[in-house]
Amino acid sequence: MELQQGGAPAAEPDDEVTLREFTLADAEAFMSWASDPRVARFQRRDAYEHVDQARHYISDHVLPHPWYRAICLADGVPVGSISVKPAPAEGGGRLFRASVGYRVARAHWGRGVATRAVRAAAEAVFAAWPWLLRLEAVADVENPASQRVLEKAGFVREGVLRKYIVLKGRPRDMVMFSLVDTDRHQQKQPMESSRP
Amino acid sequence: MAPVVSLRPLGLADADAFMAWASDDRVMRFLKRPLCATREQAVAQIRDTVLGHPWFRAVCVAGRPVGQVSVWPYADEGGRRANLGYALARDHWGRGIAAAAIRMVVGRVFDDLPGLERLEAVTDVDNVRSQRVLEKAGFQTEGVLRRYIAGRGGGEARDAVIYSFLSSDRA
Repeated sequence: MELQQGGAPAAEPDDEVTLREFTLADAEAFMSWASDPRVARFQRRDAYEHVDQARHYISDHVLPHPWYRAICLADGVPVGSISVKPAPAEGGGRLFRASVGYRVARAHWGRGVATRAVRAAAEAVFAAWPWLLRLEAVADVENPASQRVLEKAGFVREGVLRKYIVLKGRPRDMVMFSLVDTDRHQQKQPMESSRP
Repeated sequence: MAPVVSLRPLGLADADAFMAWASDDRVMRFLKRPLCATREQAVAQIRDTVLGHPWFRAVCVAGRPVGQVSVWPYADEGGRRANLGYALARDHWGRGIAAAAIRMVVGRVFDDLPGLERLEAVTDVDNVRSQRVLEKAGFQTEGVLRRYIAGRGGGEARDAVIYSFLSSDRA
């Protein structure tokens, strides 16, 4: 599910990213990011201390979720997760927005894994949900690595929303990014011209 | 002389005054509320939307309702984040009334709704008049959110400017 954009280095075969659904058997692998305070720092949840917490989270939250995927490398073992949540339609109106969030185990930072996962997830949900017009993501103002992931994945930075989300009991300023349907129509053009 | 603006609760007895703005597409086109074509619809809207609302006020000039202002807490946010909406009868535009009313809202709503930290306002990118009102009322511009708000009557999603006023912004 690679989107090659001009100037981006080609992925090594063992860096190729695939997305698949989680099962309860992934609970141990889930802990590789869920138990890491460095990953949990920019999440609402605290780092997990026991694999049972991961098991409960998978069964109570991941399996019933509208769109939740494991980020896997070539060997199929999850190294992170990515989820897309449709925004509730206001006053009985139509759905047209969704938000994406992701987490990657520390050992796999800095190699483009999150960027490839975000691109793949965007491709998948825009294909699966014809009603989707806006896919948004927020990154903490103090998380420049996550901001770069979203920019490299083709999202547009829109502004800083002050005290937007509470993380670990403190209100945080968040940078808002979006990918909209018309961005993707433009992105597709170079792809089509490169097909044989 | 500047108009004397006040806020008070809006009730069923205000249905006729309510019609002055709630039936006017020039006023309501940027809001998500349906137009009230009849007095019966106005009464129903007041009964269903206004009376049980966490924070809804009539905007009055010299004691008479000429518009409305309301603060809607978001469902998932435990009351710390809310959305500001307002509408003013067309005849009263251009006199600073909306900005004065919104300044009164930010002066009171953070005390009335404990836990409220962030009041947001979202305007259509084409609604320049409303953007000026929010800036005059002391809101901070944060950015343009693309395809953020539903179009009227099932139309395409629109770009919007998002503003905020924080409880900590109060002087």
